Amino acid sequence: MATRNRTPLYRKYRDALRNVRVTSPSSHHHGGASSSGSGGGPVIELVNASLLHSNRSYTPLSTEDPSNSSNRGAVTVGLPPAWVDISEEISANTQRIRSKMSELFKAHSQALMPSFGDGREHQHAVEVLTQEITDLLKISEKRLQKLSASGSSEDSNVKKNVQRSLATDLQKLSMELRKKQSAYLKRLRQQKEDGLDLEMNLNGSRSEQEYDDFDDIGFSDQNVSKLKKREAFTREREREIEQVVESVNDLAQIMKDLSVLVIDQGTIVDRIDYNIQNVSSSVEEGFKQLEKAERTQRKGGMVMCATVLVILCFVMLVLLILKTILF
Amino acid sequence: MVVVSVARDYVGRMLQDISGMKVLVLDSQTVSIVSVVYSQSELLQKEVFLVELLDSLSKEPMAHLKAIYFVRPTSENIQHLRRQLANPRFGEYHLFFSNILKTTQIQVLADSDEQEVVQQVQEFYADFCAIDPYHFTLNVKLNHIYMLPTVVEPHSSQIFCDRAVDGISALFLALKRRPVIRYQRTSDIAKRIAQEIAKLMYEHESGLFDFRRTEISPLLLIVDRRDDPVTPLLNQWTYQAMVHELLDIQDNKVDLRSVGKVPKDQQEVVLSSEQDAFFKANMYENFGDLGMNIKRMVDEFQQVSKSNQNIQTIEDMAKFVDNYPEYRKMHGNVSKHVTLVTEMSRIVEERKLMLVSQVEQELACNGGQVAAFEAVTNLLNDESVSDVDCLRLVMLYALRYEKESPVQLMQLFNKLASRSAKYKSGIVQFLLKQAGVDKRTGDLYGNRDLLSLARNMARGLKGVENVYTQHQPLLVQTMENITKGRLRDVDYPFVGNHFQQGRPSDVVIFIVGGTTFEEARAVAMNNAANTGTRFILGGPAILNSNRFLKDLEEAQRIARSSSGI
Repeated sequence: MATRNRTPLYRKYRDALRNVRVTSPSSHHHGGASSSGSGGGPVIELVNASLLHSNRSYTPLSTEDPSNSSNRGAVTVGLPPAWVDISEEISANTQRIRSKMSELFKAHSQALMPSFGDGREHQHAVEVLTQEITDLLKISEKRLQKLSASGSSEDSNVKKNVQRSLATDLQKLSMELRKKQSAYLKRLRQQKEDGLDLEMNLNGSRSEQEYDDFDDIGFSDQNVSKLKKREAFTREREREIEQVVESVNDLAQIMKDLSVLVIDQGTIVDRIDYNIQNVSSSVEEGFKQLEKAERTQRKGGMVMCATVLVILCFVMLVLLILKTILF
Repeated sequence: MVVVSVARDYVGRMLQDISGMKVLVLDSQTVSIVSVVYSQSELLQKEVFLVELLDSLSKEPMAHLKAIYFVRPTSENIQHLRRQLANPRFGEYHLFFSNILKTTQIQVLADSDEQEVVQQVQEFYADFCAIDPYHFTLNVKLNHIYMLPTVVEPHSSQIFCDRAVDGISALFLALKRRPVIRYQRTSDIAKRIAQEIAKLMYEHESGLFDFRRTEISPLLLIVDRRDDPVTPLLNQWTYQAMVHELLDIQDNKVDLRSVGKVPKDQQEVVLSSEQDAFFKANMYENFGDLGMNIKRMVDEFQQVSKSNQNIQTIEDMAKFVDNYPEYRKMHGNVSKHVTLVTEMSRIVEERKLMLVSQVEQELACNGGQVAAFEAVTNLLNDESVSDVDCLRLVMLYALRYEKESPVQLMQLFNKLASRSAKYKSGIVQFLLKQAGVDKRTGDLYGNRDLLSLARNMARGLKGVENVYTQHQPLLVQTMENITKGRLRDVDYPFVGNHFQQGRPSDVVIFIVGGTTFEEARAVAMNNAANTGTRFILGGPAILNSNRFLKDLEEAQRIARSSSGI
């Protein structure tokens, strides 16, 4: 895979030509523009940078030569459209979701580990994290709907594509989350069943012993309290499972909403040339419609005008005739 | 190295180093080049949110986007670029060219870049359309030019040659090799292209092509389509070739709009061996086996959809939602292949292609002139056989029995002309003039020397598995000769004084005038069998019989009008 970098040669020619241009008097206005731009340039660049180059550290005083950056400042006076903020926010959210997810998986494995102490705090952590992630997903999805296409054709295309890419990200995340969660759920259920079996066995053998010891006493206080505890424990587990199921359902809803936006891979929609064709044909179509509308509008106005004039003429004629007849 | 992955790597490298929101600007050729190897969703992953064509850019300023241009270094493209650099719309410009830039072109660009928006200028040699791992095309529109002598249309002929040279040299740059070059002696155009490539690789840009020397240089063989005019005239019965023959594949896409009553999302479908596992497994299967495999796929799908129907518990639901994207993809794929096969079997039925193809294969593979004449006459009398199929039958007969039975050939010509006025103009004679027995180098019918005659007899005795796919393109023989080191220097001379030492392990065969999917299949089969030599096949276009006949007609028209003057 050979490549050849022609940038140095290009730079050489460009610099040579710039020197020619600077010495020639005709380029005077050009120099003026760049010097006036240098005042506002860096500030605008800074704003730009904070919005766009989030993953690239920005140095206000870059090592590039100053005339270059000031020139670029003059060019990039147009700030990015407002929807960029939304997309930035969503991608920040996905980042947060990602980090939360890894925390959650750790918590899952801890919660499932048999421990001597009360595993409750782990389980609590799992609950909280799950809730947080689901909320984040929901919020991001809501914001995504706001990115719906509007404005000029080109811009709306960009927006649509941004929306698609974010939707794909979100879908992937929610899929991953659901998979892990159902795995967790399964393990939890299994543990519950195992636990019950174990308890039954223990109960059985011990109660026999107890029967041997205290022939006709029946349930001891100790036993009753144990039983209650166990019941509470099972109820707790039940609640957890319900919660997880609920969040699975939530995720399913999100999935359904997102799947409208996500591109099916391997289909014609996923072809680059198909998308270009579509865009150009829809732009053409729009242009035609506009022309047609203009034509009909103009035609309508003209026809209206003419009819009014003709009617007026007629009325005037009648008046004139009446006038000559009557007077 | 396979051509698809090389092209993919180029595109990937273009996009990966530039952070932030990007717009990709392509020209009409690079759109196909990028589209066959990269998908829209992959572009989105690389933060490319807009794709535009160089010549239809709007004026709207979008300074928050960085522009990546990937265009061919043609003079029109440079002019477009010059205008766009003078009034920049985007924040940054990264220029990638698919081939070698001239110094003057760089100067022109530098001159127009007054605001210094261009960040880099690079040459990335992805100047070919990688259809399959071992098959590429250059998508040349005016493909008929190769049949005309240079003096008839010197300008178009130069453009044609330049495109071929560009495409082939880019492929070798991408593979990082410098080949030894051979060409088919009897073809002027093959010789010309071979010499121009040699000049480029060993003189003008010898520094660029000076790669680490390997033991054995790869081989570039340039042959002429007219050496094997039979293959593009035959009906095809393996999946990919058949779809191309009956429905036309363009850049791995099939347009089904003319078919009627297809759902809206299936009006255009993608047939790519890279993205579609079922297609990859079946693209070289014959029609019968394909039918069986499709039935199996439909059965599997029914199983899945049945299990999706009875959702009772929450768990079922969760499972369904998990598998839903997979399910949808499968659904689209199943209906795509079923639509294609249904449509093709309708055409086969309608045009009686089973009957026609049997005679075609007899004509192409076995002797027996009397029986062949009878069969062709019978089909010419049959009203339900389409005119195009008749023309092809007569052409195949003419190519085979040109010298043996001129009288009967005349009878067939007359019959054809009386059947359809369109074919009075002597297109079959034009074909014979272009690709007759006197012009051909290779032993197309395997009847020139005793050895191949004997081999043919042996095959005849053994019997064939499938009557419809018994034909083997001439290319198979050529490949065999290359792997065995038997390709004759007299017929396929070397260019310059760079000769082959030992057997080459990589061979690129370029067919001037276009490749067929039947040949691509032969190449893929050969590579899969792992004989130690790997072949890559390419040409200016991918032919089916329609395209071949159209090129022939076009060339005939021009030849006639130029001789008239």
